[in-house]
Amino acid sequence: MNTLTDRYLAATLRSVPTQRRDEIATELRASIEDMIDDRTGGGADPTAAEREVLTELGNPDVLAARYADRGLQLIGPTYYLVWLRLLKLLLSFIPALVGTIVAIVNVAEGKGFGAIGPGIVVALHVGVHIAFWLTLTFAIIERSQTTVDLPGWTVDQLPDAPVHRGIPLADTVASVIMLVLTIAYLPFQHYQSWVHGTDGENIPILDPALWSFWLPALIVVLAASVVVEIVKYRIAHWTWALFTTRALLSLAFAVPLMWLALSDRLLNPALAERLSWLADADNRNVLGATIAVGAAVVAVWDLIDTALKTRRQTA
Amino acid sequence: MVSEDVLRTHLQELRRGTVVVASLVALRRPDYGYALLQRLTDHGFPVDANTLYPLLRRLEDQGLLTSEWNTAESRPRKFYRTSDEGESMLNRLLDDLAAVQTSITGLIQGVDR
Repeated sequence: MNTLTDRYLAATLRSVPTQRRDEIATELRASIEDMIDDRTGGGADPTAAEREVLTELGNPDVLAARYADRGLQLIGPTYYLVWLRLLKLLLSFIPALVGTIVAIVNVAEGKGFGAIGPGIVVALHVGVHIAFWLTLTFAIIERSQTTVDLPGWTVDQLPDAPVHRGIPLADTVASVIMLVLTIAYLPFQHYQSWVHGTDGENIPILDPALWSFWLPALIVVLAASVVVEIVKYRIAHWTWALFTTRALLSLAFAVPLMWLALSDRLLNPALAERLSWLADADNRNVLGATIAVGAAVVAVWDLIDTALKTRRQTA
Repeated sequence: MVSEDVLRTHLQELRRGTVVVASLVALRRPDYGYALLQRLTDHGFPVDANTLYPLLRRLEDQGLLTSEWNTAESRPRKFYRTSDEGESMLNRLLDDLAAVQTSITGLIQGVDR
């Protein structure tokens, strides 16, 4: 015997607790037969009536969940917000942290720029693992009969209302990334400039003699600029003190750069051996002047821009 | 024009609790699942079979209904009846339903249209 009713009962009882399965089966079968009888008594075809009744009762999994008094969601409203907060918290730093550590270990093993790839892959893996295991844990808590005692909400948990920022976070992040990349480029070009000598050895773009003083000095100026960017973000608006510090740092970077470029001390003399265009002194002067003018334009533009912002925000 | 979907949701919300009240009232006279369903429907409480059958078991688990198997007829049927506990619970629920009706009436009269 394998009627539609039998199949429906089997499908429903599959996920109902065992100790009450038989009783529910007997009662539900009687109810289904009552409903069918009621329809055939009105002259309906028994097969069609059975289909109709079972359709009315609906998806057996839904019915079983109602019998077992069980929610039809992975994580219900009781735990959803805690789950979401933990997920955000864990994802906000653990993947990046682990990825960075892996990248650093790879660098230490001498893999150079190839270390970034494994770092990113590991960070993604860690993120997926965190999401999966956290969700699984909460799904199990949701299904266990034990109630987990969650701390209630109080007004003390309210976060501060967002203050109006004259300094958007995106601007600060962009500035810091630019500065860090510039700092990183200075030693990087010394070892990897993509200009090679006749023996295949690397020729630095900048004059290696500058390492005795000027390049370290520029790196210090750039590092100080990073600190100023972060302080500026914390203060959340421009002040004249910030403007002055920023202007001094800007000049401390631009003036030595211009002076080195104009006095033809910036570029590595060894480059001229490989790039014939640079061997000509006139060409070198044109290039130095271009670099100097470029640095001046950027510095002046920056001064005007920050002065306008400062005046607006201190008004 | 009120959307049919919105109307249906609100009616569902409004009716949800009344099925328990209606069942406890109706089962002052013992009855089995499908017969109760028909009685409720006849008295203007249309309720889905897949809602009512699990609900009866839940009310039994909560001690608001008692049950007894009747095997005298052609098929075995489980007869439910409102327990003493269910009766006192029902009285509280009926009082509250009356209070809701009174409050609504008072509110309607108190608000100028």
